[in-house]
Amino acid sequence: MKRKSFSIFLSVILLASQLSFFTSCNTVKEKQKFSEYYFDYFDTVTTITGYTETEEEFKSICEEIKTELNNYHKLYNIYFRYEGMNNICVINELIDGKHNVVKVDEKIIDLLLYSKEMYTLTNGKINVAMGSVLSIWHKYRNLGLSDPANAELPPQNLLKEAMKHTDINNLEIDEENNTVFLSDPEMILDVGAIAKGYAVERIAEYLINKGVSDFLLNIGGNVRTIGMGKNNEPWKVGIENPDIEKQEEAPHIEYLKLSDMSLVTSGCYQRFYEVNGKNYHHIIDPETLLPGNKYLSVSVLTKDSGLGDALSTSLFLMSIEDGKKIVESLENVEVMWVKTDGEQIYTDGFKNYTFEYENK
Amino acid sequence: MNNKKKFKNDIILAVIVIAVAAVGLLLLNIFKTEGSFAVIKIDGKETERYPLSVNTEVVIETGDNGRNTLVIEDNKAFMKDANCPDKICEGHSKISYKGETIVCLPHKVVIEIVADEATDELDAVV
Repeated sequence: MKRKSFSIFLSVILLASQLSFFTSCNTVKEKQKFSEYYFDYFDTVTTITGYTETEEEFKSICEEIKTELNNYHKLYNIYFRYEGMNNICVINELIDGKHNVVKVDEKIIDLLLYSKEMYTLTNGKINVAMGSVLSIWHKYRNLGLSDPANAELPPQNLLKEAMKHTDINNLEIDEENNTVFLSDPEMILDVGAIAKGYAVERIAEYLINKGVSDFLLNIGGNVRTIGMGKNNEPWKVGIENPDIEKQEEAPHIEYLKLSDMSLVTSGCYQRFYEVNGKNYHHIIDPETLLPGNKYLSVSVLTKDSGLGDALSTSLFLMSIEDGKKIVESLENVEVMWVKTDGEQIYTDGFKNYTFEYENK
Repeated sequence: MNNKKKFKNDIILAVIVIAVAAVGLLLLNIFKTEGSFAVIKIDGKETERYPLSVNTEVVIETGDNGRNTLVIEDNKAFMKDANCPDKICEGHSKISYKGETIVCLPHKVVIEIVADEATDELDAVV
């Protein structure tokens, strides 16, 4: 009979352990996933995802992110000016046919200094002084989107004329007095290729300094992860299939596990308009003055999302060989190029971050 | 204790263990919700969610006369129609993977595929 009572004892233990498993799910305070969307910044959609113990905690961090985001959005805006603020739009303004020396927030000085650094690093592919050329494309794109039947390409001579006023040396930055001056009256700044990523990185930095962890910022395809995601494991991020026709059967071409890393993709499918049945996207090559046509997309993995943004745009406009030279001069940067025929080319360490994802 | 009795006790133990496991599985299944959903969010707030397993067509009104028509068909969700200026959401391919989204920026509408708790989902797509 001893054995029988032992077996009953064993089953009671088993039952108890299973019961405790069920109740522990409810009693131990686990971090929960929350997310929030914003639509008002950088002309794109922002998604904040975070793991916190309570919704209040998540919301209060989101409020801080929103305040920061709003500030950077206004400072780096090239289309609108805001009351009581000297932003990039103000730097671009002409008064009596000339630009003014404008005193600006340090955050603008830092961005513009970084932009010059990126100009050098990318051999001029990232040029914030190219505003006059990009504004022509912007105008034709908007006209084409609102009236697709009459969509046109900007005339090359117009673009070439504008290109004469894109010398970055005419962007004069006085770090001591925090002033900016464009010495060429026909030059204007466009920070679109760099400001978003730079702002994301500054906000991530701000959060990290405050001790925030386990957050993911996604500002229009500019992803920056802080800490860990679900179950304290790295965040899982997919890369969109840039071939729109194949998206339905294969929406993603790669899956990555990221922690304290950023992923930025530049693609021909993101912002474009159609002229005579052909798509023209927004990443303009300073050499041809046309949208880059070497790749469908370029994804850059790096710690610094500002660098990631600048690199993904510039690598999109150069040969893989030239791109690899730049990447090899840097540390901890991995790249995936998707060629126009769909072939995927990787730097050596890219695959260290990928994983197989089968969950549908 | 003879061998026969030993054997009988073993059977009892086995039956109890299996019964406990079965009850456990049953409980797990009761607490688990089946399948994934298309969640509609307007200006960041969830307004409705629809299971992907049921074919349906929903008109989303967003104020300022904004209208988007969401269709769920064969476990996939897509924007059939929208009166927004850029129509980017309309051109988006059908979505079904957890974590995938269709965004209509002008109307501040997001369609997101969410999973039940038990499975993995993507945290972002770029």
